[in-house]
Amino acid sequence: MSTTRHLVNRQRRLATVAAERTAAPTPVRKPVEPSTVAEESPDEPEQQEEEKEPPSGRPPRPRPRLRITLPAVLCALTVLLGAFAAWAFTSAATLNDDPGRQNTALTDIARTSEVKGQITEAVGAVFSYNYASPAKADAAVKKYLTGKAVQQHEDMLAEVRAQAPKQKLVLTTTVTESGVELLDGDRARLIIFADQSNTRTGKSEETTYAAAMFAVDAVRRGGAWRISAIDTFTR
Amino acid sequence: MARVRMTRNPLVAAAIVLTVAAAGAAGWGGVSRYQAAHDDSAAYAQVRDDALAAGEQAVQNMNTLDHEQLAKGLDSWEDSTTGDLHQQLVDGRDGFVKQIQEAKTVSTAKVLSGAVTELDDRAGKAGVMVALRVTVTAPKGKPAVKESRMLGQLTRTSDGWKLSALGQAPVGNTAG
Repeated sequence: MSTTRHLVNRQRRLATVAAERTAAPTPVRKPVEPSTVAEESPDEPEQQEEEKEPPSGRPPRPRPRLRITLPAVLCALTVLLGAFAAWAFTSAATLNDDPGRQNTALTDIARTSEVKGQITEAVGAVFSYNYASPAKADAAVKKYLTGKAVQQHEDMLAEVRAQAPKQKLVLTTTVTESGVELLDGDRARLIIFADQSNTRTGKSEETTYAAAMFAVDAVRRGGAWRISAIDTFTR
Repeated sequence: MARVRMTRNPLVAAAIVLTVAAAGAAGWGGVSRYQAAHDDSAAYAQVRDDALAAGEQAVQNMNTLDHEQLAKGLDSWEDSTTGDLHQQLVDGRDGFVKQIQEAKTVSTAKVLSGAVTELDDRAGKAGVMVALRVTVTAPKGKPAVKESRMLGQLTRTSDGWKLSALGQAPVGNTAG
């Protein structure tokens, strides 16, 4: 069907090879069916359009199109991929910044039980007071309280401290329930339900019980949780 | 040969570097977006927050009642509960209506703070503790304000989390 065309193509191919040897970069062409576009070397798809032009006898010259089209394609790709990357990172950050996710109460089981245990112990220690050993209470304050909580605790226990020696007072606080409301890295907020027993051993022994509920802010320093603020819900 | 010439073009070389960088960023971004969207602990955190919100609302509902809007109030009690607790409320409703109509009290509640203490995502069970301030206004006398330490058990239903048990934290015998 295309014997003559085959020859023409062969001549063109030889001419092309010759041209490439000298200077010009051009694709190697293969025989074509009249109706189809020629297959190209895979590196240069931009040249497909050229194929439709009527074959000319002279060897093809380097085309400036090549240098513009490839960068253009790359630019478009860069913009598209860049836009996707920007969207993906923004979207991931939005998801991760959700306050519910920042809060690892219960989701981080180890940390949750660590802060619960240590704050339960801290509350029991700093809200207990024995007239016979005030030094123990001072040591507990140093160990378990920090920041604003130091002053808040001092105000709360001022009366107990003042009356303790005279009334031979023993205050014992036991945490009955605690729940981690917020846990975010080294910060936490817990709700505490506690029972307090207040025993006066002065003249006649007398014990009163009180129910307490409050929230504490806690911070973790050097592996240990300390109470940084006490919220008694008064305002 | 053609390729060699092309990559020697500084513009094309730069464009290739940029495109590869953009592809890398897109891949990385896609992975972190996927991880963010399929985070198990984030899903669990969402369940926890849903349970807490429902629990706080239910505890507040259960401590709110206006004798002038008894039907509405008691409907909201029944809406907030499930299981035995729900059944108790339904069974005791008539007697309770009589009681409140005589006392003519208005109770309002404010949640001070709340936390989920336990959560079984699969079983659909959760425990909540809520610090509550309740104000009860009777026809005579000043409103009485008291703080309540509420402990509730939640059960997940097709209609969201509902209270299956509710009570005040007991006082007194643990300390000392």
